[in-house]
Amino acid sequence: MAKTYEISPAQLDWLRREVGDWQREGLVDDGGAEAILERYVASRRTTVVRLLSVLGAAFVGVGLISLVASNIDQLSPGLRFLGIVAVWLGAVASAEVLRRRLPDHDAQGDDADRSIAVGSARLIAVAAYGGTIFQAAQSLQVPAYSSGLLGCWAAGALAYAYACRGIGPLLVGITTMVGWFAWALGERAGDGTAFIAGLLIAAVLATAVAVLHEQLVASTLDRFAAPWSVVGGLLALAALFGAALPDVGRDGLDLPAVGVVGLLLALTLAAAAAGRADLQARRELAAVGAMLGAGLLLAAWAPVDEVGTLSGAELSHALVGTVVYLAASVWFAVVGAARDRPQLINLATAGLVLFVTVQSFGVFAPLLSGAALFLILGVILIGVGAVAERGRRRLLEEVTE
Amino acid sequence: MRVPSRTTALVAAVAVQAGLVVVAVAPRLSARLLGDTYAVRVEPLDPIDPFRGAYVTLRYTDFRTENVSSGGDGTVYVPLVPDGALWRAGAVVRERPASGPFVKCRFTGSLNCGIESLFLPQDKAKALERDLSQGGVARLKVDGRGNASVLDVRAG
Repeated sequence: MAKTYEISPAQLDWLRREVGDWQREGLVDDGGAEAILERYVASRRTTVVRLLSVLGAAFVGVGLISLVASNIDQLSPGLRFLGIVAVWLGAVASAEVLRRRLPDHDAQGDDADRSIAVGSARLIAVAAYGGTIFQAAQSLQVPAYSSGLLGCWAAGALAYAYACRGIGPLLVGITTMVGWFAWALGERAGDGTAFIAGLLIAAVLATAVAVLHEQLVASTLDRFAAPWSVVGGLLALAALFGAALPDVGRDGLDLPAVGVVGLLLALTLAAAAAGRADLQARRELAAVGAMLGAGLLLAAWAPVDEVGTLSGAELSHALVGTVVYLAASVWFAVVGAARDRPQLINLATAGLVLFVTVQSFGVFAPLLSGAALFLILGVILIGVGAVAERGRRRLLEEVTE
Repeated sequence: MRVPSRTTALVAAVAVQAGLVVVAVAPRLSARLLGDTYAVRVEPLDPIDPFRGAYVTLRYTDFRTENVSSGGDGTVYVPLVPDGALWRAGAVVRERPASGPFVKCRFTGSLNCGIESLFLPQDKAKALERDLSQGGVARLKVDGRGNASVLDVRAG
């Protein structure tokens, strides 16, 4: 008997309509249509259970790290370290045992990721690994707020994600890596220009990794392209957001060593990705490269005038920054539509609303005051929200079609 | 090229993760395993790290940066010289001392020697802060390359 899959009621309704059309067009006979539909059953249970399981695993993970932070001195540091190591390795082993119990577990497909138990165990494993690093550092009195600890957690989480091909560990790895990179740059950069440059370099790197994953069509790793792509968009938009602000950058760019290494790595990966990519992917790489250039120029161009006044140079900087940011967010929305990544479209929309709001305060506040400012801002916010939502819906409709 | 099996890849990833745990704490681990013990004077403060909980920030009263403050950021060395039952800091230098115990630090306007935090349960951190209001003594482990790690702190 054929395997049965649980899908959402909306997906099943869509499938029934499609199969009905196929029957009318003579593409499938009655028996074929019945056999196709018998493979699928509608269920909301899976979605709810998955949500509860992911939340539960995330809570357990946060709880483990909080347990480390609570520094329970009834147990010796060595015993606490062994305890968290046991949880980490136990979760890794449990995830693997649970995966092997799945039907077709050798088929390298994404069934393991669809298994709620396997996904939860992997999430706990990657969180417990972070707890292991923090417990080791606490036991050895490594100074507080050492960014390197987060970097090691990120590298370990990514290594585990690629070995087990798990989306959950990948998301934890990417999030911690972005956090570490921003933290390390903030420590070393000393000024806003270098920090913005670092974010843009990371955006190029993440986009290049996404494009490289897209080439791996026959592999389960092609599913990793979307998270990297969204992170690339988030970093680029965050950097251009900062670069457009009048008081963030300063004349010139003094990139710390970690930034130079990151730039060389990003350019190498982008070149490797461009060599194997299709036209659309090359456009994505070129666009994020252009954002790197534009962002650096904006951040290094820092007109400084008296507080409370808006000079012509500052107004020009704000206007150019606004145009660059608008172009970037529209681009990421287009990429989201073309690549079927609604998260990227939502990101671009939310970023655009936030950007216009902040720029309204930053640029127009010195020109207007009191009631006029609030009235104009209110109208601008309602207008931007309405236009952005309309655009988002249209793009999502195109994706659905 | 032969693709490694899932199990091999997973074992390799766990080995990499274990190696990263060692990398994350390497200087402090080296000091604990290979270092000798020295007692130096300290003063406390009491903040919290979100990942590792309450800790006491230690300020080493003997560690002064006048000698190196004009030379820009970089690695500096704090020689330890005997002072009765304790050890005190000699003049901070940029060249690694040829002999005697020393602590390797990074100078970025102030000294960062990897021994500025003592993690404790929150109630004990507050109690220690009270006990050390008149200063205290920290026992350090310091290895031959200047890596240092705090063992404990007591009033005195």
